[in-house]
Amino acid sequence: MAEANVLEVRNLQTHFVTDDGTLKAVDGVSFAVGPGETLGIVGESGCGKSVTSLSILRLIPSPPGRIVGGEILFKGTNLLKLSDPEMRKIRGNDISMIFQEPMTSLNPVYTCGDQIMEAVMLHQKVGRAEARTRAIEMLRLVGIPSPEQRVDEYPHQLSGGMRQRVMIAMALSCQPEVLIADEPTTALDVTIQAQILELLNRLQREMGMAILLITHDLGVVAETCDRVAVMYAGHVVEYAGVDDIFARPRMPYTVGLLGSIPKLGEEKERLRVIPGNVPNPSEFPAGCKFHPRCPVAIDRCKVENPPLVPIRPGHDVRCWRAGEAEAGTLDMGRAFEEVVS
Amino acid sequence: MSDEVLLSVRDLKKHFPIKKGLFSRVVGHVKAVDGVSFDLKRGEVLGLVGESGCGKTTTGRVILRLIEATSGQVFFEGRDVLALGKSELRAIRRKMQIVFQDPYSSLNPRLTVGSMIQEALTIHKLASGAKAKERVAELLTLVGLAPHHARRYPHEFSGGQRQRIGVARALAVDPTLIIADEPVSALDVSIQAQILNLLKDLKDRLGLTYVFVAHDLAVVEHISDRVAVMYLGRIVELAESRALYKSPRHPYTKALLSAIPVPEPARKTQRIVLTGDVPSPARPPSGCPFHPRCFMARPKCSTDVPVLREVMPGHWSACHFAEELAGA
Repeated sequence: MAEANVLEVRNLQTHFVTDDGTLKAVDGVSFAVGPGETLGIVGESGCGKSVTSLSILRLIPSPPGRIVGGEILFKGTNLLKLSDPEMRKIRGNDISMIFQEPMTSLNPVYTCGDQIMEAVMLHQKVGRAEARTRAIEMLRLVGIPSPEQRVDEYPHQLSGGMRQRVMIAMALSCQPEVLIADEPTTALDVTIQAQILELLNRLQREMGMAILLITHDLGVVAETCDRVAVMYAGHVVEYAGVDDIFARPRMPYTVGLLGSIPKLGEEKERLRVIPGNVPNPSEFPAGCKFHPRCPVAIDRCKVENPPLVPIRPGHDVRCWRAGEAEAGTLDMGRAFEEVVS
Repeated sequence: MSDEVLLSVRDLKKHFPIKKGLFSRVVGHVKAVDGVSFDLKRGEVLGLVGESGCGKTTTGRVILRLIEATSGQVFFEGRDVLALGKSELRAIRRKMQIVFQDPYSSLNPRLTVGSMIQEALTIHKLASGAKAKERVAELLTLVGLAPHHARRYPHEFSGGQRQRIGVARALAVDPTLIIADEPVSALDVSIQAQILNLLKDLKDRLGLTYVFVAHDLAVVEHISDRVAVMYLGRIVELAESRALYKSPRHPYTKALLSAIPVPEPARKTQRIVLTGDVPSPARPPSGCPFHPRCFMARPKCSTDVPVLREVMPGHWSACHFAEELAGA
């Protein structure tokens, strides 16, 4: 499998230098994604999931941000070693990105068509007329009605769902091999979210690209991803196939997160709760970053950060007590139930 | 829950005028809330769900008269809130409080948490001096914070803690009814659960009644006794929370439920993907407002407006063909 990965991130470290010291927003993150595969990166605010995705495209504002270590291999080439012009050829062409907020990430003074055509003309070396045809084709592909007309409209004339479709059309116009989708449906209503997820799914089947889906919504992950990397405080804390993550989570954070979402049709008096607050990058604790909120933490967790190690083939966990949970001698779910909120 | 009706809303409407030109000529109306009626019993939690622009937030605000209604009636403990004069309104507002969505912008950044909560006590002449301070400490403890937090400013708190402050502020005046407007949607998943549990505990301990406005159906189902689904300013379905999720009797509810991604990869649900967007409330479609997106629409739906009717005891639906959804 290793050589089949289109994108592989190895030990990525992105730090921000501020007046309060160095913030290790991303601190040794590794994962890989193959063609036609969807990898979900899940976590709460400040866990480093967006910084990871921006690092891949080298879009981290510097200063204050800096990628201080690691490798980002796109088909074997380390993107961190490329010059800026070389990187520009890849960005938007081989690897492209869609953002959370379609209103703020589209340029309000250009028509939708112009914005799609810009990428096509730049990367594919085609003329205006050809690019326009391509833009219309893309708009049709993403399910925008009467694309010949919409191509000349401005972003403000479209609804939220339509704008997100334009973003997707733009991102896919050069047939990228990797699509990074950063919370692509968070700003949308559920019925529109269903449309967009369905669309991404269909386009992935047709074009065979790899998708990196960054989200906080475990429902979206369950329905769209093949593999999942759960992030907490700048680390990947659990990395496994989607069925495994949901059926047999072995990191207390994942266990707690799964228990804290209300599920439809489920009768439950109280929700399971992860105590405490999501830590701010300036105050990440020592040892295991999750230990202050963890109901099964032991003394070792306070001083020593556990490594991410396989507990089963294809299932990596960062927890000193994952082995006990795997062996059945520790019930992490029950430990959360006993937490008084 | 008692049998006493605490809040009764009758044919509530809020139409915002659309003005154009030099003389601000009114060229149309956005019918944000267009004939909403429901009853709420003391101690009950009513969930108000719907997508953006369906009028759920406006409904909540009109009930509190934070926005003046266009027409309709709101009875709180038997008195018509919309007909009250200024001083009577102030008195009744003590009984009806709101918790806002965004804990970042709904707290005054220049006031300490203590003075913010104390302000409510002063306005309603409930306590002053040392007694007020005592009450503030009591409230902070009640919502899971510590008394010494009273001296801090909002920016010193995380999102979840700020929402706790918002709840404490609402509780300061000892209200009966709380309108919670998307109280958890700005929070991280692990923090959402904390706030939901807190709201539930407070309801049980203090005998509160909630109108819980949210777009997340799973959250609403978890906390509500009954749920009202809104679409384009109207209630399209109203039922006990369990009945609504188990056997929805309106195609919109059915589609909405099926659109929610389920956090169980093994369970692949049959999804109804609605086509198109929510129409603009300024130009609602003729007949049933949902008919252009409905998967079971017939000719009748584009001409006749369906009324909200009781299709089963306690289960209301505004669909001409609600019966066909039974058992489906």
